[in-house]
Amino acid sequence: MGQKELKVAFLLALRSLQRGSRSSAILTVLIIGMCFTNMIFLPSMFSGIGQSITKQLVDYEVSNVLVSPKSGAQYITDIGTTLDLINGMPGVQRASPQYSKGATFKYRQRVLGVSVRAILPTDEKEVSPVYTKMVAGSYLGEGDTGEIIIGRPIAGDASVRQEDEFQPSLGGVRVGDSITIEYGNGYTKDYRVKGIYATGWSPVDSAAFVTWTDMEQVEGKTLDKADYITVRAKPGYTEQFIKNELLAYGVGVNGKVQTMTDLLSKSIGKVLQSFAIINMVSLIVSIIITTVVLFIVITIKTINSRKQIGILKAIGVDKEVIMHNYGFQVIILGILGIVLGIIITLVLAAYMSVHPIVTPEWSATLYITPWDLMINSVILFIAAIVAGYVPAYQVSREDIQTAMRA
Amino acid sequence: MIEIDNLRKTYHMGNVEVKALDGITLDIAKGEFLGIMGPSGSGKTTLLHMLGLLDLPTSGRIVIDGMDISKLTDYEKTMFRLYKLGYIFQDYALVPDLTVMENVSLPAMLRKDRNEDQYRKDSHGILQKVGLCDRRDHLPRELSGGQQQRVSLARAMVNKPEILFADEPCANLDSENSKVVLELFREINESMHQTIVMVSHENWHKEYFHRIVYLRDGVLDPARNQ
Repeated sequence: MGQKELKVAFLLALRSLQRGSRSSAILTVLIIGMCFTNMIFLPSMFSGIGQSITKQLVDYEVSNVLVSPKSGAQYITDIGTTLDLINGMPGVQRASPQYSKGATFKYRQRVLGVSVRAILPTDEKEVSPVYTKMVAGSYLGEGDTGEIIIGRPIAGDASVRQEDEFQPSLGGVRVGDSITIEYGNGYTKDYRVKGIYATGWSPVDSAAFVTWTDMEQVEGKTLDKADYITVRAKPGYTEQFIKNELLAYGVGVNGKVQTMTDLLSKSIGKVLQSFAIINMVSLIVSIIITTVVLFIVITIKTINSRKQIGILKAIGVDKEVIMHNYGFQVIILGILGIVLGIIITLVLAAYMSVHPIVTPEWSATLYITPWDLMINSVILFIAAIVAGYVPAYQVSREDIQTAMRA
Repeated sequence: MIEIDNLRKTYHMGNVEVKALDGITLDIAKGEFLGIMGPSGSGKTTLLHMLGLLDLPTSGRIVIDGMDISKLTDYEKTMFRLYKLGYIFQDYALVPDLTVMENVSLPAMLRKDRNEDQYRKDSHGILQKVGLCDRRDHLPRELSGGQQQRVSLARAMVNKPEILFADEPCANLDSENSKVVLELFREINESMHQTIVMVSHENWHKEYFHRIVYLRDGVLDPARNQ
């Protein structure tokens, strides 16, 4: 099969598509485009959800490395020394402790159970982006006492009746309002709401933050323990490097050191595995649909052209040229379909970046990488070629008399 | 040019055996314009298809230009058809998605001894000869039956074949267009010393043929082939 033969096969394919049935060609391209979109949409959506959950876990829960109490212990103790040690290590941007205490919030006639988290605001700002998510008022200052920031779901909306609320709230607290907080140890205090935030991450939005100093007043003593310490790595340092450093410096004696990856594999690993199974099913179904559709399209084309194929062979056109003619038609339709699919997918991705899917637990956009586009394009392209060449091969082998009599 | 020895072709239609050709022996000389005539079902088209390597005989031998064609492989037969033979069919058999120029150039494009300039020049020349140069960018459906058959003739002649086979080329044409096509055949035969084998059942075509062989029931009709 030389260059001349391929050139003739390509010319026949091109002219057939240009001057043959336009509607058939357009519909075929549309089907391939839709199959491509189907192949990439669901996996990208699940990737988006996975990315969203991962990002929110990192931002609001565990950061890059989490130091938690050892098995059997309730708190990490000797927190002052531990923080000094961690903050002095190479690669560590900042470590921030959190200490939570259950409390009952009272505002007008509303009563609500909320977990109050104590933080060191300056350190926490380097570890978590909650301070960038203020929707009203401002973030906590280092020395603030008697002031609290709360999540928007806790603050509630005054225009929504209590029985219509999705989750219980204080019914419309605004910045500057005073709420009474009764802690589990019986300590009761009035707080001024300094700010209201909304991160989109439900566990944080359903909590409230006070300063470490304030919590020490609640506890009535210096607070030298924490529920956990989140550690942010400096750019260029890996989580594993930080973990190894922490263990090397003996932090592991006082607490359990885990990277974000360690934690993710435990927390959402099963979810991601389930997503992968659904993705595989979706991919296989799309490939089968594309293959079958193209097989039918090319089979119909060849059946309708049997007489012409016979004549081409009669005038000296080799069967390989005839086979590649249909092969090139499938390649052209496949490329156009894939390009259409990429355009549809990118338009959907752009739309969803502006209008993400939002749930109380997470928000998600399409997460598409060039590699995803490339690998799906290659898979679909191969499927299209197989689907096109099989009927083309069969018809090109038919003897001239049989073909011409069709 | 063509030697046919005891050529037989038998078709099986269920349990019925049909002898389409039943022992044809015939020689065709170079430059001859041979007419094959006979009633329907006499085996005219079958004989033409055997000679044109479009079908395989059940037995017998065909030698073209000194070559026993039964010894050729499938690919060699394709190349033989491309380089040495030209065909004209009853229904023109043009590729509907190609223009006149592309249809005519198609066999020439595949020849390894022709470059693009050569086959364009050859196609242009033969289109001028059949009087359709001004229609070279039209599609077949935009032409009349007579014009389409002239394109078919140009396509068959573009490679300057040794033998031109025509299977009732005027069957779908009115007498005026038939005459135009037959005159072209005659002109090509005389000016290029082109061997032409043509199947026909029109008596008035006889005047164009150098020689006529009559077939009846798959054999040469002894009464008419004196």
